[in-house]
Amino acid sequence: MSLTDLMSMAKPNSEMRERTLAKIGKREFADCFQCAKCTSGCTAFKLLELKPHEVMRLVNLGFTGELISSEISWTCVTCLKCMERCPQQASPYYVIMALRNLTIEQGGKVPEAYLNAVSQILETGFMQAVQKVTAKNMETLDRQKLGLPNIKNSAKTFKATFLKALEEREV
Amino acid sequence: MVNVQKVTENAKTLPDVVVARHYAYTCSDPGQRMIEDDIRQYGIDRVVIAACSPRMHEETFRETVARAGLNPYLLEIVNLREHVSWVHSEDPEKATEKAMDLVRMGVERARLLEPLQKKKVSVEKSVLVIGGGIAGIQAALDIANAGLDVVLVEKSPTIGGKMALLDKTFPTLDCSACILTPKMTEVARHPRIKLLTYAEVESVSGYVGNYEVTILKKARYVDEDKCKGCGVCATKCPVKVSDEANMGLGSRKAIFILFPQAVPLVYTIDKEHCLYFLKGVCKICEKFCEARAINFEQTPQRVKVKVGGIVIAVGAELFDASQIAEFAFGKSKNIITNLQFERLTNASGPTHGEILCPQTGKRPRSIVFVQCVGSRDRRFNEYCCRVGCMITLKQAILAREKLGKDVDIYVCHIEIRSFGKGYEEFYRRARDMNIKFIAGIPSEIRVEADGTIRLEVFDKLTSKLLEIQSDLVVLACGLIPDPDTRKISELLHVSRSPDGFLLEAHPKLRPLETVISGVFLAGTCQGPKDIPDTIAQASGAAAKAVNLLLSGEIELEPLKGVVNEELCSGCRICEFVCPFSAIEMRTENLNGAEKLKAEIVEALCQGCGLCEAACPVKAIKIHHYTDEQILAQVRAAYLSESQLVRE
Amino acid sequence: MKVTVFWGCKILTSQYAYEMSVRRVLPELGVELVDLREMHCCGDVVKSVNAFAAKYMAARVLALAGETGIKELLVPCSRCHFTLSETQHLLRSDTNLREKVFALLKDEKLEYPSDVRIWHIIDLLYDAMGLSRIKEKVKKSLKGLKFSAHVGCQIIRPSIIGRVDNPENPRKLNELIRALGAESPDYPEKLDCCGSALTFSHQEAAFTLAGSKLKAIQEMGVDGLIDSCPSCHEMFDAKQEEASKIIGKKLSLPVLYYTQLLGLALGMKMEDLGLHLNQSPVEKLIEKSGVHS
Repeated sequence: MSLTDLMSMAKPNSEMRERTLAKIGKREFADCFQCAKCTSGCTAFKLLELKPHEVMRLVNLGFTGELISSEISWTCVTCLKCMERCPQQASPYYVIMALRNLTIEQGGKVPEAYLNAVSQILETGFMQAVQKVTAKNMETLDRQKLGLPNIKNSAKTFKATFLKALEEREV
Repeated sequence: MVNVQKVTENAKTLPDVVVARHYAYTCSDPGQRMIEDDIRQYGIDRVVIAACSPRMHEETFRETVARAGLNPYLLEIVNLREHVSWVHSEDPEKATEKAMDLVRMGVERARLLEPLQKKKVSVEKSVLVIGGGIAGIQAALDIANAGLDVVLVEKSPTIGGKMALLDKTFPTLDCSACILTPKMTEVARHPRIKLLTYAEVESVSGYVGNYEVTILKKARYVDEDKCKGCGVCATKCPVKVSDEANMGLGSRKAIFILFPQAVPLVYTIDKEHCLYFLKGVCKICEKFCEARAINFEQTPQRVKVKVGGIVIAVGAELFDASQIAEFAFGKSKNIITNLQFERLTNASGPTHGEILCPQTGKRPRSIVFVQCVGSRDRRFNEYCCRVGCMITLKQAILAREKLGKDVDIYVCHIEIRSFGKGYEEFYRRARDMNIKFIAGIPSEIRVEADGTIRLEVFDKLTSKLLEIQSDLVVLACGLIPDPDTRKISELLHVSRSPDGFLLEAHPKLRPLETVISGVFLAGTCQGPKDIPDTIAQASGAAAKAVNLLLSGEIELEPLKGVVNEELCSGCRICEFVCPFSAIEMRTENLNGAEKLKAEIVEALCQGCGLCEAACPVKAIKIHHYTDEQILAQVRAAYLSESQLVRE
Repeated sequence: MKVTVFWGCKILTSQYAYEMSVRRVLPELGVELVDLREMHCCGDVVKSVNAFAAKYMAARVLALAGETGIKELLVPCSRCHFTLSETQHLLRSDTNLREKVFALLKDEKLEYPSDVRIWHIIDLLYDAMGLSRIKEKVKKSLKGLKFSAHVGCQIIRPSIIGRVDNPENPRKLNELIRALGAESPDYPEKLDCCGSALTFSHQEAAFTLAGSKLKAIQEMGVDGLIDSCPSCHEMFDAKQEEASKIIGKKLSLPVLYYTQLLGLALGMKMEDLGLHLNQSPVEKLIEKSGVHS
């Protein structure tokens, strides 16, 4: 490997680059020519310093490690503005989602809420439990009291297939 | 890689092969002489050369063979480069086998080749130039000065094209009109150039050396011979129309000239806005015209000309910035295109050369240029427009010169492409004038309720998100093909590349020609480019045209189709499939009955073979590519020597 | 018109007002709603964990919809709408993905339908029903009221796969509000995101985004904000108070689902539209409108 990042002494990881590519259905992130239009309009930049163009370049060079340890992928708001306006029709959004997937595969830090959501889906098929709500007059209400039909839960086969799907590493 | 020794030895074993050699650089002098000597010495009557693509040296070797007294069409080229060594380098053994097979196939074909003769055809020593911008003007002048006649057709009322609208040109900052107008007047005065303005090519028929063109001269409702260009009519005309020459920033009248230096200096009435044509009233221009040049009864005229060659110079258009909605073009008068900015700095523009914000009429305190609008953008045009960076550098420098130190000038870019002679130095000049280059493109431009224009742009080089509040925003729009390019391509059977520009015969080796003999390309119709490149291409196209026609005759390759009239059933399928309209049906009187027979127009025929394949009764043969010759190759590829049956 | 409906997690487990108002209002306009035989998450949140598993879940929803034989599928949640549309688009072109997903569906004896048309509330009302049908059903005009439209992100982008409205100049929700007699002015922050996706990991940033937009709209002096997605609505309505604390500015803006506003104009009762569940101060709006006098 001929390249070294002299700030961190890290070397690019071409296997991770290939795995990221496989996770976005081979849609090329190398097309990105660094116009930074995505970052100029990124909803998450001002508050959380997400720079989609930088993510694209780091992934292309193979520096996925630092992206995963910085936990930057969790800052994306999924507004899709980057994907809409990119002149190369690249999609930082897909690359960022792929980084999230890779973080989980590698055992990196994941916000708890996502893992809780998946557990909840395994249990009830939904990402959160059925809730009671409070009306303005402080009355506690639920679906039944509001006259809404019962939820028809998914078949038992769903859970097993879902678990199987979770093992797939490519898209 | 191919084992040439083995291929040569194998060739020696093929029936009727009396000599087989291998030699590096056969195309060189000694190599060619070796072939000539062998032909004479061994009484050879067919030659097979196994080497690179026939596109490289078939012509060369045909001449070699002819010098030795053999008909040049008794030569077969077998391509061992593109078909073998360039594509099968991973398996040298199999590659060599394939090479041997190809040579064998070549020998079988060579057996069946027939001697053929080139034909001479006389040509018109004149050229049609379509488009009167700088490309068309330059080509017309070069051709006319070489002694050929030129018909120059321009669809707008004046020649000059886009160059006439520019202010200064990069990198010299020459005044565009100053360097252009002398050429325009030269065109008007040239004894060999027939100038037809406000005219369009309607139809083209014929073939190289003998084109018949019908040109439609639109009605100006002004007599060209009488109009003196005094302009009194325009001062009296009550109708104001948005001015296309000023890119919508100014206005003209319904009777107008596009700009003061128009050639010809003849006014034109815009039928769509003239009160007489709309409502039957007014006619005030006629009342005041002292030259009595106004003629509301004028009708379009058709002019037919015969020319030997055609130069297409129809130019390009500016990308429509409103397609990129996030840049808010149209939401504020102060968001303009680079061409509109050009009109602001131009002394004959709507502000007499003062840079003023269109919304307020005041001088801007800040200007932001946004690059690559509609270019390098896969949602619109993937190509780089080639001139956007240089135009912006020029405009930024002019802005600094005209507005002084107090205006902030920013250029938001992906890269700065300053590739030409003097261009990099021009870029430094801009940097030295405190023009700020920001390495990033804004995601959107916002116009607030009070008209304030704001944009946020991430500068990659400082990693800062910068907000710019700017009085004026200039969108550096790219170039797209002129809307009439499609019509021209269909009229002349010239293809377009995927980007919509006209397709050259070869991007590297033949950038001025098309695959249609006698039709050449000049200027931005072939692809976006600046003025130096346009003029170079135009002069080159002119030279090609002159080269073709100056002698008064051309030679046609004999690799054409011929119809066996006895077999032809008159079904017309060949006429239908021919992509070059090279087949005509003749009515013949045979035994009292009228029968249709197909006839191939040799000058138009490109020898593509579609008719040969389509003919249901096998009445057509393409010289040098007959069914028998091709089938002989196919059999040689699959059958062993004992299985081959030779006629 | 008969449509199947896919509600998604948020609506079924907490955003009941949206479900209530849709179930009330759509039949009034001639739309019959048919529920799917099974309900589960579309896979949106799973995208961050395993993009493939998310595709399977979305394909499963489409398979359930296809089973009914009804070609039109209404998806009132914008995030679900994007998830299902995106999956449908990818399954059309990516043969490798198709093979893998179909194999899993086959395990469950489900078949993927090729021709389900996915609708959102906005385009169903604007394009399928049409403004004139809405106008003629209005009983209590909302004349004199002004609302800002928040169309959100995931139903207008990415335009290349076909979305509900124009990505840079979405007009349909504005027109739907105007069809009720009210005004709906544009504003520079129109395309700004509500920030709901960040609640999983960066709560403060999420509420800053929602709060900033609410503040800008409040400063316009409008009578309310109209949205059409349970995630956006949760941020602007249920979390308005929290957003207010984070940005340090008092927020008091009524926030309604479009279907709730529509229901009011159709003369329906507050409770039937779930308006008693809105956390933002909708009472002052209802009072001003005079729809319940």
